Amino acid sequence: MKEIKLKVNGIDYILNIDEDIRLIDLLRDKLRLTGTKEGCGEGECGACTVIMDGVSVNSCLVMAFQADGSNILTIEGLEEEGKLHPIQKAFIEEGAIQCGYCTPGMIMSVKALLDKQPYPSREEIRKGISGNLCRCTGYNKIVDATEMAIKYIKEEGV
Amino acid sequence: MKKKGVGIGISFYGIGYGNGFPDVSKAVVRLLDGGKIGIYTGATEVGQGSKTVLSQIGAETLKIDSKDILFICEDTSLMPDSGTTAASRQTYNTGNAIKTACEKFREELLDAAQRELGLNSVSGLTMEKGEIYLNFFPHKRISFKELSKTYKDNPIEVEGIFTAQTVEMDSETGQGAPYWPYTFNACGVEVEVDTLTGKVEILKAVFAQDTGRAINPKLVEGQMDGGFAMALGYALFEDLEIDKGRIKNNKFSKYLIPTAMDMIDVKNIIIEDPENTAPYGAKGIGESVTIPITPAILNAIYDAVGVRITEIPVTPSRLLKVLADKA
Repeated sequence: MKEIKLKVNGIDYILNIDEDIRLIDLLRDKLRLTGTKEGCGEGECGACTVIMDGVSVNSCLVMAFQADGSNILTIEGLEEEGKLHPIQKAFIEEGAIQCGYCTPGMIMSVKALLDKQPYPSREEIRKGISGNLCRCTGYNKIVDATEMAIKYIKEEGV
Repeated sequence: MKKKGVGIGISFYGIGYGNGFPDVSKAVVRLLDGGKIGIYTGATEVGQGSKTVLSQIGAETLKIDSKDILFICEDTSLMPDSGTTAASRQTYNTGNAIKTACEKFREELLDAAQRELGLNSVSGLTMEKGEIYLNFFPHKRISFKELSKTYKDNPIEVEGIFTAQTVEMDSETGQGAPYWPYTFNACGVEVEVDTLTGKVEILKAVFAQDTGRAINPKLVEGQMDGGFAMALGYALFEDLEIDKGRIKNNKFSKYLIPTAMDMIDVKNIIIEDPENTAPYGAKGIGESVTIPITPAILNAIYDAVGVRITEIPVTPSRLLKVLADKA
């Protein structure tokens, strides 16, 4: 067992963890933040994407102890006071969600992209989400939703 | 050398199980406490949007907002079966069952309104926005909410059933009419083939899909984009390597599916030609949207480099081999 300190969605935690668990196990099994999904478990599909110290990571490839001292944002942390984040709102309105399994990871990748680059082109959006696989949508509604989210973020000043 | 080419693919595709196989959908409509309408059907939502589209069909028939519908599905302990979410059949088949159920339900509500309002008949009664009133004397009116209170112990409920009409083919000749209805589509693509690397890139695409009626155009576009991307992977990347019954490339690093960077913006065109046996003319398109894409890509490759590809996916190594054989 190892004691780690980290911040998840703005809340500070001190946790005793087994050394062999991954960040996704910590999030889903210890903290019960099951919005983050496990897809392939080997860093190829992006379903488990979370933001760690401002950078999008596959939480299946990060060991939990490596997250010691870090600041993690998951899909559950986007909503503020019951209000959806503009990216979430745009995904719903544009029909960028079909089966929904890739959606939490996809939204976190869009968030990481827009945090770094607030006005990406469509090609840059495609590049930004290219680590997240989606079998249903053909991605175009996701790119549309990202463009809509950019507009919402500008209007709302989030 | 990089060479460009264009190609088209066209297809038609039948909805439902077909070939005379029993294809039945059922739905129950019930007046709930507070005047909301419950629609219960076994139809399974897998992300394609059946809950949305089937709620819209119910709302349209009962002239209410879809927010006033409680749509409950996927639990056969609570509702009748509506067959599988397969064969592109839920919009057409279960849509028809819901429309039939809602039409019968409407009659039941009008009868109840006649009784409660003490009228001679249902003639002149209008139903809209959760209320029923007499056209020429709107003071005579009753809401779904009031009716739900009156019928609390014996809720108004009806079932609608739709059985698709298909005919078994002649097993000797293969002739007959195995499906009804069909949807039609056409796709055109422009590709660029790199004859040095064997890589095929899609430059432009236009895709027209007949829907009968697009109950929800955004969802139709989503299906079209999704079908395009699946067919793009089918044409160019996806090769399941099976060895003695085992899949050798059972990971995404070995079995490639399109990413957002492989996909392009498709110019989608929805063709609405209402089908008269369909709910508000709407036909299913879940599967048909993948069909014409791969032929269009293969035809475009032929146009670009003059070789007919007879085996997919057209991976770079396969294309280079075909080009070398030709030379």
